[in-house]
Amino acid sequence: MSIAISGLTFRYPGGAGVFGIDLDVAPGAFCAVIGPSGCGKTTLLQLIAGFLRPETGRIALSGVDVADVAPKDRNVGVVFQNYALFPHMTALENVAYPLKLRGVSAAERRERAGQALESARLSALADRRPNQLSGGQQQRVALARALVFRPRALLLDEPLSALDAAHRAAMRDEIRAVQREHGIATLHVTHDQEEALSIADVVAVMDAGRLLQLAPPRELYDRPVNRFVAGFVGHANLFDAKVAKGALETPVGPMRTLDPLPEDGATVTVLLRPEALEPIVEAHVREGVAAADGALVLMGAVTRDRFLGSLRRFDLAVAGGTILGETSSQAPILGVRVPPGAVRVLPPEA
Amino acid sequence: MPAVTAFYLLFLVAPILLLAVGSVGGTWTNTLLPDGFTTEWYRNVWEDGSFRRAFVVSLWVCLSTCIATAAIGLPLAYGIYGAARRGVKIAARLLYLMPVAAPPLVLGFGFILVFSTDELPFLGTPWLLVCGHVVLTLPYLMQTLVADMRHLQLDTLERAAESLGAGFVQRFFGIIVPSLRHSLASGLIMVAALSIGEFQLSNLIAGFLSRPYPVVLLQAFYGATGFACAATVILLALALISGAAAGVAGHGRVGVQGAHT
Repeated sequence: MSIAISGLTFRYPGGAGVFGIDLDVAPGAFCAVIGPSGCGKTTLLQLIAGFLRPETGRIALSGVDVADVAPKDRNVGVVFQNYALFPHMTALENVAYPLKLRGVSAAERRERAGQALESARLSALADRRPNQLSGGQQQRVALARALVFRPRALLLDEPLSALDAAHRAAMRDEIRAVQREHGIATLHVTHDQEEALSIADVVAVMDAGRLLQLAPPRELYDRPVNRFVAGFVGHANLFDAKVAKGALETPVGPMRTLDPLPEDGATVTVLLRPEALEPIVEAHVREGVAAADGALVLMGAVTRDRFLGSLRRFDLAVAGGTILGETSSQAPILGVRVPPGAVRVLPPEA
Repeated sequence: MPAVTAFYLLFLVAPILLLAVGSVGGTWTNTLLPDGFTTEWYRNVWEDGSFRRAFVVSLWVCLSTCIATAAIGLPLAYGIYGAARRGVKIAARLLYLMPVAAPPLVLGFGFILVFSTDELPFLGTPWLLVCGHVVLTLPYLMQTLVADMRHLQLDTLERAAESLGAGFVQRFFGIIVPSLRHSLASGLIMVAALSIGEFQLSNLIAGFLSRPYPVVLLQAFYGATGFACAATVILLALALISGAAAGVAGHGRVGVQGAHT
């Protein structure tokens, strides 16, 4: 129940595609693939499902190379963005369909499909047609249908994008619970980075057909490999900086860091996550580097203040640039402290 | 707005009402309504051998046309919908819509030229009549089917079926055809109604013994008014009944297939 991809390349006539993708999803693991639209994430899913044929590279499902296996024989469960339930079949018939194709007897498929619907809490709606079900219900039928034949892998193509915000979070947890229960290697394609971080064991970030980073959510957030990943995953302040005498010369001032630094004169990218900055609410704090802990103190004026319920995200105009910060405090903000622990140095870009 | 609608309805219904009245009326000359009630006209139509034969011919041609358009239209619409290249799609669309633009008179003249030759001596056979009706009605069925395929996002449904383990034949008869049952039924109703009422082409290419109802009906217009009214009302009823029958048949057939899981 694993997915192993190596050197996978596919090119569309226009030149887009995916190029040299290496990606392993361990048995039972949940991998989210994120990236902007057109980055190749859906192409990757279609290659695994077999709807597209790769130019080069290898796809193995549970250790079996599926390069020459037709989509219908790959035994991969797919949940589509619009659910793709068959309109002329009831919920039960939809779920029973893959069993019917596999020659399972009528009695057994009724029983197994019935169980699948029961665990999705849809028994009462078994005889309804898709157009009589809500989006969330259709979603659960589609998920049950994709799992009822015990596939080797589960592929989810933006399955939550058609749901409203309230249902999305609940459905997210439900998908994860069902996936855990089945212990099935899962690839979840989404453009929603928050969804990816909250649901996945590992997250793959793609851009322009290439896989930029594959890491657990925490690591992806704390240690992005480059500017693109840092900017795409979560909110970020990104500055060009020059290394000088063990510190970082940035447009907003000198910063110290706990990260290892390259030699003097090197150019690097500095990442400050907004929530790692400490807002200053008392007046008459001195600007510059504080002697005590080496933090950079920046005073300025808030130019945008966004109320987001439990937290508040603000833009602070300081000398040399703008800083994005987050806080749960509702007091007026006069500046921020940038402690060395908040300053991340990204690896130099190739 | 309601006034316009009412006027339009009157415009639509009044001739039909007058026909119905005339078909059961006695003498009708230069008055708004005929005087007397009689079923004589219907009996006259019934007793007329050429009308009875035409009635049967029309039903037979209509049924054959429905079967043929469904058999040709479904795979053709599927092919056009699935065509990868945009250019191919547009070309195919223009091609199958051409009979709508070409006047049936032109088509009929072409048929006469081609099928009166020694190599293809089919002019006057009922089969040629069916072929002509298929050419004329296919665009309407195709249009309905292709629109429904787009609406259903049939390609995604097919991919879903494929990922669940269905081969092409299983997908075609298990997913594609039953998913399209509603549009197939409504398309066939249109085909049936058009075929029953078709006059222009039929008049040119039908043989004397295989004239469909509308062609024979024209003769009636030169006779008694009541007789013509009765014969026309029968045509109207025939068109409605065959349309409904095509709808029910299309519905029933695929309904049964979709039901047993």
